[in-house]
Amino acid sequence: MASQLKVDTITGVTTAGSIAVTGEGNSTTTNLQQGLFKMWADLSGGGTPAIDDSTNTSSVTDVGAGERRINLTNSMSSTNYMVIAGMINDGNSGGARGAAGHHLGTQATGSVQYKTMYGSTASSDGNLTDSHTQEGAGIAGDLA
Amino acid sequence: MASELRVNTLKDASGNNSIGLSYVAEGTAKAWMSLNGTGTIALRDSFNISGVVDNGTGSYTPSYSSNFGNANYSASGAGGSSNSNANVRLNTPAAGSQDLETRASNDGSNYDEAYTRFTATGDLA
Repeated sequence: MASQLKVDTITGVTTAGSIAVTGEGNSTTTNLQQGLFKMWADLSGGGTPAIDDSTNTSSVTDVGAGERRINLTNSMSSTNYMVIAGMINDGNSGGARGAAGHHLGTQATGSVQYKTMYGSTASSDGNLTDSHTQEGAGIAGDLA
Repeated sequence: MASELRVNTLKDASGNNSIGLSYVAEGTAKAWMSLNGTGTIALRDSFNISGVVDNGTGSYTPSYSSNFGNANYSASGAGGSSNSNANVRLNTPAAGSQDLETRASNDGSNYDEAYTRFTATGDLA
């Protein structure tokens, strides 16, 4: 029989921040809280980045050409979290591009900073770029 | 006392924001790590990673505590801080591990990355 649970908050019984979810193969469990992305953001690229959709973000700071800082609403507990970033390779006149999480010195509990850059071309090896239309980033780890 | 709740759908108390449990189970990351891949490698933080083998310069193999059901899961990686041209190459996956390499995009050479990040999503065994 189909069932439906209406709640605003789910809390573990033994440990408030730990809930097991049975895996797809029915033979093991995965931790719900650990598996959730604690932040994700889809941003319009270009010279003035803007958040188009997101969770747990308060704002984006345009640090400079090809460099962003996403500020979190709820901070992480430490700077040891996992972050990924990517960008759409469009409007390309300089060759293939990639994106990388960068400047980990500014990977703070309340924000994450990354760069968007060209990949390797004859004229541009890793130069910062704003000439793309969409990028994204995500964080997994422990909330404070 | 441990408890188990069996439901198909979650909603908030107002009856909005419905999500099926299949999305919860399928949509959560099943493994992730932030690895210091320099010197004697060390996990900064991780989930469902039992250990990481250092295969040489810029080459690592994280293994899962709970394996995936097959090798058809999705994975992504990112580098940064140790090289301005940081990239992560994911090699052929296995249900229990994923070989990856941190390499510079400007010349394709491997290097040891201080902040090697990796995440995997898919079906657990």
